[in-house]
Amino acid sequence: MRRSLRHTVLAALAALGLAGCMEWDYGGTEEFEASGAGLFVVNEGNFQYGNATLSYYDPETRQVENEVFRRANGFRLGDTAQSMTVRNGTAWVVVNNSHVIFAIDTETFVEKGRIVGFTSPRHIHFLSDRKAYVTQLWDNRIFIVDPERYAITGHIECPGMTIENGSTERMVQYGRYLYVNCWSYQNRILKIDTETDAVVGQLEVGIQPAAMVLDRYGKLWVYTDGGYEGSPYGHEAPALCRIDAETFTIEKRFGFRHGDRPGDLAINGPGDRLYWLDEGVWCMETTAERLPLRPILPGSGTLYYSLTIDPVRGDLYVADAIDYQQQGIVYRYSADGEPLDRFQAGTTPGFFCWK
Amino acid sequence: MKPAYAALLLLVLFAPARTAAQERHAEQQPSGGLTRRVHPIPEVTVVGRRPIKETGVQRTKFDSTALKENIALSMADVLTFRSPLFVKSYGRATLSTVAFRGTSPSHTQVTWNGMRINNPMLGMTDFSMIPSYFVDDASLLHGTSSVNETGGGLGGAVKLATRPAAAEGFGLQYIQGIGSFRTFDEFLRLTYGNARWQFSTRAVYSSSPNDYKYRNRDKKENIYDEEMNIVGSYHPVERNRSGAFKDLHLLQEVYCNTGRGDRFGLNAWYIHSNRELPMLTTDYADDLAFENRQREQTFRGILSWEHLRSQWKIAARAGYIHTWTAYDYKRDVGNGTMAAMTRSRSTVDTFYGQLDGEYALGRKWLFTASLAAHQHLVESVDKNIIKQDGNKAVVGYDKGRIELSGSLSAKWRPTERFGLAAVLREEMYGTEWSPPIPALFLDGVLSRQGNLVAKASVSRNYRFPTLNDLYFLPGGNPDLRKESGWTYDAGLSFAVGKAGRYRLSGSATWFDSHVDDWIVWLPTTKGFFSPRNLKKVHAYGVEAQAELSVALAQEWKLELGGTYSWTPSINEGEPISPADRSVGKQLPYVPVHAATTTGRLTWRRWSLLYKWCWYSRRYTMSSNDVTLTGSLPPYYMNNLALEKSFSLRWADLSVKGAVNNLFDEEYLSVLSRPMPGINFEIFIAITPKWGRKN
Repeated sequence: MRRSLRHTVLAALAALGLAGCMEWDYGGTEEFEASGAGLFVVNEGNFQYGNATLSYYDPETRQVENEVFRRANGFRLGDTAQSMTVRNGTAWVVVNNSHVIFAIDTETFVEKGRIVGFTSPRHIHFLSDRKAYVTQLWDNRIFIVDPERYAITGHIECPGMTIENGSTERMVQYGRYLYVNCWSYQNRILKIDTETDAVVGQLEVGIQPAAMVLDRYGKLWVYTDGGYEGSPYGHEAPALCRIDAETFTIEKRFGFRHGDRPGDLAINGPGDRLYWLDEGVWCMETTAERLPLRPILPGSGTLYYSLTIDPVRGDLYVADAIDYQQQGIVYRYSADGEPLDRFQAGTTPGFFCWK
Repeated sequence: MKPAYAALLLLVLFAPARTAAQERHAEQQPSGGLTRRVHPIPEVTVVGRRPIKETGVQRTKFDSTALKENIALSMADVLTFRSPLFVKSYGRATLSTVAFRGTSPSHTQVTWNGMRINNPMLGMTDFSMIPSYFVDDASLLHGTSSVNETGGGLGGAVKLATRPAAAEGFGLQYIQGIGSFRTFDEFLRLTYGNARWQFSTRAVYSSSPNDYKYRNRDKKENIYDEEMNIVGSYHPVERNRSGAFKDLHLLQEVYCNTGRGDRFGLNAWYIHSNRELPMLTTDYADDLAFENRQREQTFRGILSWEHLRSQWKIAARAGYIHTWTAYDYKRDVGNGTMAAMTRSRSTVDTFYGQLDGEYALGRKWLFTASLAAHQHLVESVDKNIIKQDGNKAVVGYDKGRIELSGSLSAKWRPTERFGLAAVLREEMYGTEWSPPIPALFLDGVLSRQGNLVAKASVSRNYRFPTLNDLYFLPGGNPDLRKESGWTYDAGLSFAVGKAGRYRLSGSATWFDSHVDDWIVWLPTTKGFFSPRNLKKVHAYGVEAQAELSVALAQEWKLELGGTYSWTPSINEGEPISPADRSVGKQLPYVPVHAATTTGRLTWRRWSLLYKWCWYSRRYTMSSNDVTLTGSLPPYYMNNLALEKSFSLRWADLSVKGAVNNLFDEEYLSVLSRPMPGINFEIFIAITPKWGRKN
């Protein structure tokens, strides 16, 4: 008995020695030198996973680098990266559910600074080196920030919404005025005087205006997603609206069919062709008076989630999120629709930004 | 390990401790004084005594020492260290769900005293909301075996129950726990009983700011110069933010045994929970500027009646569940006023009734019949909005659903060595009927030496979509189909031993299950999630467990237990896109390997408990890519507890010290959710001997 007791105690001590030590690799940092033009892919990741990433693609060499923020800085980008804006060699990455906007060097991807204190930031738009606007979800305020001091300096109260149903999304500037589409449970475009930081006009365009671009003729193009079936806010067929930025009036409304699910909206470099997603990729001249009958790129089992047009070459880039739980694929096509390349990005590639 | 931790560890290790619960399982030696006792080794069950009702059933039972280990434990903790299930959790008092045999949390059905307590909106059960001290009888029904109890358990079922306290006269037990992070746990039980009546009142209250420190590897703090240039950075040591909890549980039980074959029971369980939802490691918000809180009030009540005769038994149960859940996400808008960004409220009322009957025809046949009904009434208000006409409206749904589940079974044991059982179950949810759910079980004694028993079973099963799957706004999909699956089990078990010396038992089970139309919530282009019947999953593998009890020397006893599971859970659906790389891959957050070990060394009134668990890598991507940002490496966890009890003339006392995360591991169970490092808790228990002999 004594012997078995001794053996048991020794065995238990030996087992204790093996029981610890977990495999963890936090990794270090890498140096990058991404000179020249390039394309950033902002990968949302999954909500509440904290697995948003940033990819960088060089159209010349056709090389992609994934997780560049993590690799350059040694820590994660955050939860649900939403958008990105480049200004004077600095890329501003808006990480929605991390409540932060990171400023990184566009060539080294190293952090320069960060702005915190947001409710739920969506997009950043620069008015000058010392002033930018940040739109938000779940807040009826557009924040005013000082990018040089990485500080929030004020806000603009948006009329007709509370903090609970507040939603301001994309921003487009036309002269001294900034236009903002109000998306979630909203139906308006706001017109803001950037000199007084005041809302000076509103325009109802339809249920849930989700995206907006400005063409070369001074026309705002807005698509409304129409809400969803059963929504107490209402449900209607999606639509594409052409708004004259000067007069702030709707010139024409292009209606989609009920059940269509248009997605991202983009415009080419010259500003004369619109692109959007609706299973496939669709394209229309900004002077057209009717919607096209068929897509330029039909979907083939793909779950296209975002797109962009190379402002110089005119190449089309479209991201397939697949099942939103694996690295998405970005397909590159020439302006004529010829496949040129494809590369793997991060989970849920939701936004493109050219350097 | 830091010196301060080591010193505290030694202090705890040598502090005297023992739970009063275990008192009931030990006998005091008449001549041994206050510090001597014997620790009996249970007899090996003889194969011929296997109950016919359990024919072919794969069941894991948790003994009372596991359930009553300490008052701070929830069923999530018990399952983590004592079962082959993977418990997905991100700390104490946070949502804790299980993956049973590689399936999703809603594929595990949970019953409490026979009543299903899965949330009808979500389908899953939060095991952190079930204090293990409130459970007297817990078992797992693996795979096919769950069809004996209920439908929808594609992974299996967890069966929880309370039992009469067997009190004679008045009894009281009070336990106080004080732990790291200003954690307080209190437990009180009052009992009164005689041969006919048994009364019990239990209360548990737990609270903590739960603000443990951790090194945040997912962030860096910057150091700026006057020109706002970054001149340095470091991974900050942060506290777990927004992790506080206050949970109160009350359980009232009344049992009456007429002594003439009738037993009546009343169980009423009230929960009042107020929990903050911890912030992610990647969240840069000021925790004082946000409030992220979930509150729940739940009442569960059951009335039961059993009428027993020598050859037959009938039983009836009626129950009611009311759950009110509030989720508030608030923001300080600058003037100290917290404005609601999300104000979600849901109310669930469930009315329950069940009839069971059993009839034994001789010793070789047993017939059972069961019919259960759950009527759910759900009102879910998720968001307040202002409509286009300026009026206010709420986003949510208000739905009801009746769920019927009936079964018939015949169990036949023609010889002591062989048994066969067939179960036929039928379910109806709303107006939709499931096809008949058949299950077939058989077992046989391969060898009396070693009590070697072989078991095998096969069943069909279905799981209906939850109410959120169907109706949640936005995204609910009323066109969803029910999930369906086939499961096959085969296994061997053995038990050897010598009374008073040792007992060794073990089992190994192979299982194979196919689930079609697996429901997955995915984002849409409109910015919300929506469920779809997407995947076809093949989950298979092996579950093994073993237990050893040895009397090492006089007054020394060693108990060892271990589980291991190998559970590939593979997506075998069609690629949903030409680039889909998830086909043939393990499902996210389901570890392929999991293992647990517990060891208890007992000497006189001292007891040392060691617990260990290990999970292999959990993929966070369906493609099983291991990236810098998205993977969860394997981890081990070690807990230790030392107990000492005292039997005084007027009361039983015990003191216990527990050390969790013994090696101060930095680990994650869920991405971006830090877990606490080494932490301690001391428990003091007192059980007065009112009117009882020493």
